[in-house]
Amino acid sequence: MRTNSRALFAALALTPLLAGCFVSGEGGSGADAEGGSAGRLRVALAVPPVQELSPYSNDATLLSKLSVAEGLTALDKNGAAAPALATSWKQTNPTTWTFELRKATFQDGTPVTAESVVNALDHADAAKPKPRVLSDVTLTAKVDDADTVTISTKAADPVLPLRLASPALAILSAKAYHKDGTVSPVGTGTGPFKITKLTGKTEASLDRYDGYWGGKAKAPGIDVTWIADGTARANALRSGDVDIAEWIPTAQAKLLDAKTRHEVPSVRTDSLILNTGNGMFTDPALRAAAREAVDGSALVDSVFGGYADPAQGLFGPAVRWAADKRVDVTGRAKAATPAQVRSKTKGKVLRLATITNRAELPEAATVLQQQLEKAGFTVKQDVREYTQMEADLLAGKYDALVFSRVTLLDTGDAVAYLASDYKSDGVYNIARLKDPKVDQAIKSAAEESDTTKRQQKIMAAEAQILRTDAVIPLVHEKVIQGIATNVEGVLLDPRERSLIDVDTRLK
Amino acid sequence: MSVTSVGADARPAQWRAGLGRLAAGSRAGLGRLAAGVALLTAVALLPWLSGNDPALTVLRARSADQDPTPAQLAAVREQLGLDEGPFTHLVHWLGGLPRGDAGTSWVSGEPVLPQVTAAFAVSFTLMLGALVVTIAVAALVSARTLYLGSRRRLHRRRGATGAAVLAALPKFLLASLLATVCGVWLGWFPSSGWEGPSSMVLPALALGVPSGAMIGGLLDQALPAAFHEPWARTWHAYGFTSGHIARHALRRTLAGVLPQLLPTVVALVGGAVAVEKIFNIPGLGRLALDAAIAQDLPPLQTATLVLILLGITAGLLIQALRRALLGPALRDGALPALHAPALPRRRSSRWAAGACAIALLTLVIAGLLRDPLHVDTAARLLPPSAAHPLGTDSLGRDLLARLGHGALRTVGVALAVTAVCTLTGLLLGMATQVGAGLTEAVSTLPAVLAGLLTTAVTGPSVWGAALAVCLVGWTPYAAQAAALLEQERASGHMLASLSIGAGRGYRLRRHLLPAVLPAVLRNALLRLPTTVLVLASLGFLGLGEQPPTAEWGRLLSENQPYVELAPWAVLGPACALVLLSVLAVSGTASGRSGPRRTADR
Repeated sequence: MRTNSRALFAALALTPLLAGCFVSGEGGSGADAEGGSAGRLRVALAVPPVQELSPYSNDATLLSKLSVAEGLTALDKNGAAAPALATSWKQTNPTTWTFELRKATFQDGTPVTAESVVNALDHADAAKPKPRVLSDVTLTAKVDDADTVTISTKAADPVLPLRLASPALAILSAKAYHKDGTVSPVGTGTGPFKITKLTGKTEASLDRYDGYWGGKAKAPGIDVTWIADGTARANALRSGDVDIAEWIPTAQAKLLDAKTRHEVPSVRTDSLILNTGNGMFTDPALRAAAREAVDGSALVDSVFGGYADPAQGLFGPAVRWAADKRVDVTGRAKAATPAQVRSKTKGKVLRLATITNRAELPEAATVLQQQLEKAGFTVKQDVREYTQMEADLLAGKYDALVFSRVTLLDTGDAVAYLASDYKSDGVYNIARLKDPKVDQAIKSAAEESDTTKRQQKIMAAEAQILRTDAVIPLVHEKVIQGIATNVEGVLLDPRERSLIDVDTRLK
Repeated sequence: MSVTSVGADARPAQWRAGLGRLAAGSRAGLGRLAAGVALLTAVALLPWLSGNDPALTVLRARSADQDPTPAQLAAVREQLGLDEGPFTHLVHWLGGLPRGDAGTSWVSGEPVLPQVTAAFAVSFTLMLGALVVTIAVAALVSARTLYLGSRRRLHRRRGATGAAVLAALPKFLLASLLATVCGVWLGWFPSSGWEGPSSMVLPALALGVPSGAMIGGLLDQALPAAFHEPWARTWHAYGFTSGHIARHALRRTLAGVLPQLLPTVVALVGGAVAVEKIFNIPGLGRLALDAAIAQDLPPLQTATLVLILLGITAGLLIQALRRALLGPALRDGALPALHAPALPRRRSSRWAAGACAIALLTLVIAGLLRDPLHVDTAARLLPPSAAHPLGTDSLGRDLLARLGHGALRTVGVALAVTAVCTLTGLLLGMATQVGAGLTEAVSTLPAVLAGLLTTAVTGPSVWGAALAVCLVGWTPYAAQAAALLEQERASGHMLASLSIGAGRGYRLRRHLLPAVLPAVLRNALLRLPTTVLVLASLGFLGLGEQPPTAEWGRLLSENQPYVELAPWAVLGPACALVLLSVLAVSGTASGRSGPRRTADR
């Protein structure tokens, strides 16, 4: 009996040691690429892959961030379409465009031809559910000759070249598209780096693709680690485990060495969205009272630790053309005084919602609560994870929402955001705004094909939207990228679409 | 030795007992099966119960930018076959299991089984690491009592202050601290990742230290009773070595404490989400949480099944260990009851209780006089000063005020939840056969899962968090009560009591409850801080008090990002939790009177 129990104790004590080494040895097998390989970039990214790097999912941005795949076009610094796989393009009539392709090869060795481009675009168009960038357009691609593609759209689409820069419309070789509808960019892109291995949702390794049309990349490869927790990402950079860590939370920014901290104005705008469809904010005077009460600049130095700009409008400094073309807002409702607010709300509680996904938002909501209470509102917060409240948001169950929104969606065109969020038939119209003048302004911007005029009309639509007080912009976010001092050539992109390209390397 | 002393001609009794055990075993097996089936069905119904369209959550998980147009949602619904309803899915999934096919993820379209097994291997390894730390810490905590007791120098009862302090440390805070200090500052171990044995050290410490303190605390409190038994006195008088006596006392007490490993350590396989996040470990907890949030049913179901099976396996293993430890004594009803001796309490522990009470009271009264909600963005993260004795948080709110105002609510809810859990645990612990199966099946389930089920049924509410924690929080007490009851039922005086015709109620009142209650209560009080933290961890589901209401668990979690920049912002609430824990543990120890217990025997 005694020996028996002793043996059991021994077993109990030994198992963990043995099993521990064994399984973790296996679990760490993805680490074989690191260490001695000089010059490889080690990158910590924030959003783990959700669909095996499929370009039709969240993972698409990864393909452009790490220069794995390219589209026909790319966006330049000012947000205009620039050549990528297409060297040039022209619009032959309002619904038809022709694109001249450059000589390039896929990472699997096959050449980029008009046929492969058509194949890729057809697959994107047929994908279920459809990628967002194609949700409001139907396009048909045709082979003209070996290196010319004609793309026609059902309705006129002035921003087609911008659209084609979307990572979701990356051109992959025929091998990438599987019969069951899945798409794999592993070794099928055209970019300077090719994915060689993807280990679950934790790691990926990329090697330089020597046949890249734009020359050989300076770094021999990239080792990607996905670290969802912001503090852990910052820690990984500080302890030297990675060379580049994206999206450092503002709470951690001060802990980074100043030389490794790089801020980029982001196309994200945080705002307070008021529900104009039901509840207390159907009253324009109350909306105006809320607008006057709320001061977004108080958030900049506190909640955002200085890593934000006070809101100028819906579009911030990251949208470079916006400031010059901004239209003054006129015709706003007169704000109710605190006493009027109290009598109008009659003890009704303002349901203020926000999401936990971005750490700054709950803090911002608490600051706003105090500001709104000063104006006479009684506020109750509801803070949840985004997916836990999205259905309620779309159903209009809240009076106000503190929200962070990308103002240039994957089309790179501001109209898409305005149309989905503020048009009466917008699918993401959380403000439940139904205003004919706003609808008209957005529609007119959408139809404009001249770039400058389009931008002017977008800003006119912005003024129309702000006039309704359905949305109160608070701050324009800044993204903090952590980059070790021995790395050069990292792209600081306000659209969060590019990070590493041919010129990025370790010094 | 009294533990294994068996009559020579006890064969018929053994035989009868064997038959009885067989019947009990099959009943327990049925209990496990029923519990497993019920849980899996509940999980399978989740997307339909929650009122949250699974098509929308899956679409969101795939692509954050997607517009939720009816056409897109219909495409997802058709792709996943959501219109077929929950039971078709469940049957389909169950049907695939024998073939080793656990379905494909709704979000990624990849086969589920490889993902879940990989994550399980990682989490299991981490748990084993945590187990080693737990055993080491538990040994350290109970070493002094073991040393003194085996030499019969245990004259005063210990206050268990040290154990209470360690057990009250929030794991995520410990993890943050270790990652920063040992990972970033000193560079001793990797601050994140899962690259090899060295990445295991810090997370295992973060998970193991509080668990070890908890187990050690329980062991430490049970040991004096073993040393108080006649055999120990006799052996000492005969001159047996102290090591020998210590070993047998340990063996005697371990049997009652071992079942605590299931909800305390084994449960970490699925319940260490916060630590997995901080150290970026690709474990099962995170996988299950991500799947649950996206309502990605196949991985969620598979993870649940794995956790249930793990719980049952671990439960059986622990039971076997207990049998091996106690031997035939348990089976043949020859165990003396393990009752604590009436040792005088050490003055220091009484002092500790008093000091904690005064400190907490001062804290609460001073805090209540201040405004906990006033935001002053200019005064953010100020260190302690005359104006703000405990400093301010990231919004410039006074931390003392927030602690004071949060105290009553936090402690009240935690106590209520603990009371309900203890009661449920006691009841289920008494229903031996069914209870055992249910305990094993539930004890490894993370509270988040219960939280999701609760939100699905009740919607986000203040009491939702309490309900969710009650749903899973009773397992430690049920496991403990069942183990202690089994021993008590096997004791000689129960037989005597039975033979003189004592009724059920009498036995329950005079023997069973007194044998179980003190130990279970102590366990519950040691777990009080954990309860506070678990309650707060469900906040992201909309359960519990909404911000900006002050609440200790929230104070800790909302200030966690500032742990390095403004340590005082977490130090205050962490100290308050420690004070509460020490007060609860040492305070109740002085409240209970020993002599009545001895009179029973």
